[in-house]
Amino acid sequence: MFRYTKATALREGIVWVVALLTLMPFYFLIATALKPDEELLTTGTSAPPSRPTLENFTEVLSSGGDNNILLALLHSVVITVGSIAGLVAFGSLAAYVLARTTHRWGSVTFYLFLVAILLPTQLGLVPLYIGARQIGLVGSMWGMIILYVGTLMPLAVFLYAGFFRNLPRDYEEAAALDGASPARVFFRVVLPLMAPATGTVAILTGLIVWNDFFSALIFLGGSDNQTLPVSMYYYVGSLVSAWNKIFAIVIISMVPILAFYLFAQKKFIQGFAGGIK
Amino acid sequence: MTATMGTPQDTGALVRGSVPAAGGGQPARSRRSRPLITYGRWWWALPAVAMVLLIHYAATAGGALYAFTDWTGIGDFEFIGLDNFRRILDDPDSIGSLQNTLFLAFGFLVLTNVGGLLLALALNRTLKTRYLLRVLFFMPVVLSPLAVSYVWKFIFDFNGPLNDVLGWVGAEPRTWLADPALALWAVLVVMAWQTTGMVMVIYLAGLATVPPEIEEAAALDGASTWRRFRYITVPSVRPSIAIASTLMLIQGLRVFDQVMALTGGGPAGATETLATQVYKETFALSNFGYGAALALVLTMIMLVFSVLQQAATRDRS
Amino acid sequence: MASITYDRITKRYPDGTQAVSELDLSIRDGEFLVLVGPSGCGKTTALRMAAGLEEISDGRLLIGDRVVNEVHPSQRDIAMVFQNYALYPHMSVRENIAFPLLCANVAKSEVKERVDRAAESLGLTELLHRKPKALSGGQRQRVAMGRAIVRQPQAFLMDEPLSNLDAKLRGQMRAEIRSLQREYRTTTLYVTHDQVEAMTMGDRIAILRKGVLQQLGTPDELYETPANLFVAEFIGAPPMNVLSATVTRTPAGSTLVLGSQRLALPAGALDAYPALAGADATPVALGLRPEALRDVTTADPSWPRLVADVDLVENLPPEKLVHLRVDADPVVTEATLEIAADIDQAAAEELRTLGRGSVLHARLPGTTAVREGGRAEFAIPPSALHFFDLSTGQAIAPQSPRLAAATA
Ligand SMILES: Nc1ncnc2c1ncn2[C@@H]1O[C@H](COP(=O)(O)OP(=O)(O)OP(=O)(O)O)[C@@H](O)[C@H]1O
Ligand SMILES: [Mg+2]
Repeated sequence: MFRYTKATALREGIVWVVALLTLMPFYFLIATALKPDEELLTTGTSAPPSRPTLENFTEVLSSGGDNNILLALLHSVVITVGSIAGLVAFGSLAAYVLARTTHRWGSVTFYLFLVAILLPTQLGLVPLYIGARQIGLVGSMWGMIILYVGTLMPLAVFLYAGFFRNLPRDYEEAAALDGASPARVFFRVVLPLMAPATGTVAILTGLIVWNDFFSALIFLGGSDNQTLPVSMYYYVGSLVSAWNKIFAIVIISMVPILAFYLFAQKKFIQGFAGGIK
Repeated sequence: MTATMGTPQDTGALVRGSVPAAGGGQPARSRRSRPLITYGRWWWALPAVAMVLLIHYAATAGGALYAFTDWTGIGDFEFIGLDNFRRILDDPDSIGSLQNTLFLAFGFLVLTNVGGLLLALALNRTLKTRYLLRVLFFMPVVLSPLAVSYVWKFIFDFNGPLNDVLGWVGAEPRTWLADPALALWAVLVVMAWQTTGMVMVIYLAGLATVPPEIEEAAALDGASTWRRFRYITVPSVRPSIAIASTLMLIQGLRVFDQVMALTGGGPAGATETLATQVYKETFALSNFGYGAALALVLTMIMLVFSVLQQAATRDRS
Repeated sequence: MASITYDRITKRYPDGTQAVSELDLSIRDGEFLVLVGPSGCGKTTALRMAAGLEEISDGRLLIGDRVVNEVHPSQRDIAMVFQNYALYPHMSVRENIAFPLLCANVAKSEVKERVDRAAESLGLTELLHRKPKALSGGQRQRVAMGRAIVRQPQAFLMDEPLSNLDAKLRGQMRAEIRSLQREYRTTTLYVTHDQVEAMTMGDRIAILRKGVLQQLGTPDELYETPANLFVAEFIGAPPMNVLSATVTRTPAGSTLVLGSQRLALPAGALDAYPALAGADATPVALGLRPEALRDVTTADPSWPRLVADVDLVENLPPEKLVHLRVDADPVVTEATLEIAADIDQAAAEELRTLGRGSVLHARLPGTTAVREGGRAEFAIPPSALHFFDLSTGQAIAPQSPRLAAATA
C-alpha cells in the first residue's frame, strides 16, 4: 500500500542529512582527539587532522594518581555491576512477592515504591551524605553501590512488577504441584523466566548508574574511588583547553557504553520504549 | 408456540451412583483467611522495602527537616523557621536559578517532544534505512551527559567549529558560552540534542500500536493525510505524549551535569540552576541548611508538576 | 494411590461468583473419572481445589482418608496436567520430567533411571535433550504426561489436556492416556467439556452444570437413564430429541399425544411409570434417542408408529442421519439453550425462534428406504421412551420391574 515512491526517497535523503548534522559532534570529537598538540593551533577546528596520531590516548591513559582514567573505569564497572546485581536480586524478589500477594499490605507496599519513583533524590542527598560520612561510607564503593541500589530500587521493582503481573501463574502452579518449595519455585522456575525483565532493568538502571555524575561527585569526589564521570570532570578541569587530550578522555569514557549499545541496541531501545510505562 | 419451562431443578437426586459418606479424617476447620498456595515469602521484600524507606523516605524527610535549620555541617544547629526560604526569596541569585531552571525544563520539554515526534513520524514506516537511523538518533541517549557536554563546549568555543561555520557564511563569531544572553540557550541545545532520541523511541512505541492495516484502510477510504494524522496518529501517540512530557519535565528540572561541564553556572550566574546551586551551597560552601531549603523548593516544584501532569493525563483517558 | 473425595464442597470467588455448589463426588482408588460440563460450569475450579491451587470455601476435600483442605499443593502428592502443559520453557525435556523428582530429593542415579523409563514408555527417548519450544503439540502433551507419571503420585489431575491438539491427534492421545492410566492404575480426575471424550475415556462420568453436580455414573448409565433433560441433551451425538407430548390413559391402555398424532402404546408399556399412570392426561417432555426411530420393516408390529416429514437425509455410511419434522411443540429450556450456545451461538438463536413443529434426528441403517422430501413412518420401541417432568426437567424414572410389580 505505502509504496516506496520518489517522494519517499526524497524524505529518506532529508532524514539522512538531518542525521549527519546531528552526528556532527562525533566528527569533531574524533577528529580533534587524533590531532597532535601543534595541529590544534595550526589547522582549523573543523578540519580533519593532517597527521592523525594516537599519542593523546596513550598520554591520557598513562597518567596516574587522581587522573588515572583506567582505574576510574574499573571503579565505574565495579559500581555499575554491583548496583545492577543488588537491584536485580532485591528488586525481583520484592516485586515478585508484591505482584503475587493477595494480602492488603501488598498493595500498600507497592504504593510505597510507586511514590518513591516520583520523589526526587536531591533533597535526600544531604542527610544521606551526612549519615554516610558518619559510618565511613563516603568515598567507598560499597557506600556508592548501596546508594544506587536504594535510589533505583523503586524503578527496578516497578519494572519487575509489571513483568510478573503479565507472567501466567501456570509455571509456578505446576512447580508447586511438582513438589517445589516457594524458594525452589522462584529460583528454578521464575528466575530463568524473568530474563527479559532483568535485561530491561539492567540496561535502564545500569545506564543511570554508569552515567551518574551528581551523586558520584558528592560521594566520591576527591576520594580514591572516583568513577569515570567524576575523574573526567576533575581531569578535564585541569587540562584547560587541550581539546585533543580532553577528547581522548571523552572517547575513552564513551567507548564501553557505545560498544555495549551497538551490541544490544534492540534491547536498549525496547527498554526505553516499553520499560517506561 | 413453544412449551417453555423452568430450569431443571438442580437436585441432588442422582439416578445412579452415589457418593459414599466421606469417612475418617478430622472435622474440617473453620474458615481460613490465607490462600493455600503462596508465591514466595513476604520477608523476601524486606531488603528492598528497608532500603527505600531509608534512602527515599527517611532521607527526604531528614532533608526537609534541615531546610528549617541553620546547620553548616559541623557543630550544633538551630531551627530558624522559614528564614532559609525568606533568604531564597530575597536572594536574586536563587530567584535567577529558579527562573533558569524553569526556562530549561520547559524549553527542554518542548524541543525534545517536537523533535522526537518529527523523528518518530519520519522513521515509523516506509523508509528503507529506518532501523539504522533509529539506532543513530538514539545513540546520544546512552552517553554520559558530562562527556556530551564537553564535546559541545568545544563546538561552542570562540575558536570552535560553530564560529568557523558562521565565518564561512560571513557572520560575526560569538562567545556562546560567555554571553549571558546565549549561554542558557546553549545549555538547552545540548540537553535537547542528547535526549531527543529517547523521546523519539517513546513516540515510535506509540505509533507502533496502530496496525498498518488500519492506516491502509484509511488511506484507501480516501482520508487526507491531515485527517489520518488527526484521527489515527494523534490518538495513538497520546499516551506517549503524557509519558514523554512527564519524563522530560522532571529530567529538565534536575539539570546539573550539562551546566557544570559547559559553564559551571556562569557567566555571572546566567546559567545557574537549582540543582547546581544546591550542590554549591551544600557541598562547596557547607551551608547545609540553606542548601536543603533550596533542595526542598526543587522537590516541591517537581512534585507539583508530576501531580499536575498525572491529573492532566488522567482527565483525558 | 488413593481416592479423592469432595465432601459438600462449595467455592465462592472473592467477587461473589459461586463456581461450585455443595459438590459431593468421590473418585475411587484407581478410577478414571471424567468431569464434564459446558464452558464456565466450574470444572476447572473443582479440579484446582483438589490440587490445592484454589481455596475451598466450604466442605472437606479428602485424599485417601486424609482431609487436605489445609495441605499445600506441594505436599498433596498429586500430579496435574495443564491445558497448555506448562512445560518449563528453559528446561530440556529431560529436566522437565526430572523436576518433580529433584523436588523430592531423589538420588541422581535413580532420577536418571526413572526419567529414562518414563520417556521410554511415552516414546520420548529421542527428544530428551530438546527444549519444549522445539516439540510438536502431541510431543509436548507426552512430556506433560511424563512429568506427571514419573513421580508415581497418588492421583492425576488433568484439565482439558487434549483441547490444544487437532482432532486426529486428540483421538490418538485419548487412547494413549487411557492405556497409560490403566498401566499405572493411578486415580485420575479428568476435566473436559467434550462429551465424546468423556464417554470414550471415563470409567465414570460426573456432569456439572453451573457448579451443581447433575449426575454421576458410568457412560452407559448416563446414556440409558439420564437424570434430567440437561444430561439427556448433553450426552450423545446427535443429542436426544426432546418434544412436548401428553400421556393419556385410555380404556385400551395408554396413548402418547404428539402434536396431531396419537401413538398407541402397547399394554403394560407404562407399568413401570406409576407417576404417569395416575392422571388421565399428563403433559411430559418426551425424549427419543436418534436410534429409537426405527424402520417399520424390521420393527415389532406392536410398537407405536410415528409419521414425520423428511427434511434432509445425510449419508454417513454405514448409516444415514435423517432430519425429520413433526408438528409437536419443541421443548425449549434454559438447559437446551445453554448446550446449544456452547456449541454454536447461532444455533441457540435458531432454537429460540423455531416456530412450528419440532426437528427430530433419526439414525437409520444405510439401507433405509427413507427419501428426502417425502413422509415416512417410523416405529418406536416403547423401552426407548424417556419421560421428563415438563416443569422441573427431572427424569420421570421407570421403577425397577420388581418394585413396579409390588405396587401394582
Ligand atoms: N478467579 C476467579 N474469580 C472470579 N470468578 C471466577 C474466577 N475463576 C473462574 N471464575 C468463574 O467461575 C465459574 C467457573 O469457572 P471455571 O473456570 O471453573 O469453568 P470451567 O468449567 O473450567 O470452564 P471452561 O470449560 O471454559 O474452562 C465461571 O463463571 C468463571 O467466570
Ligand atoms: Mg476450565
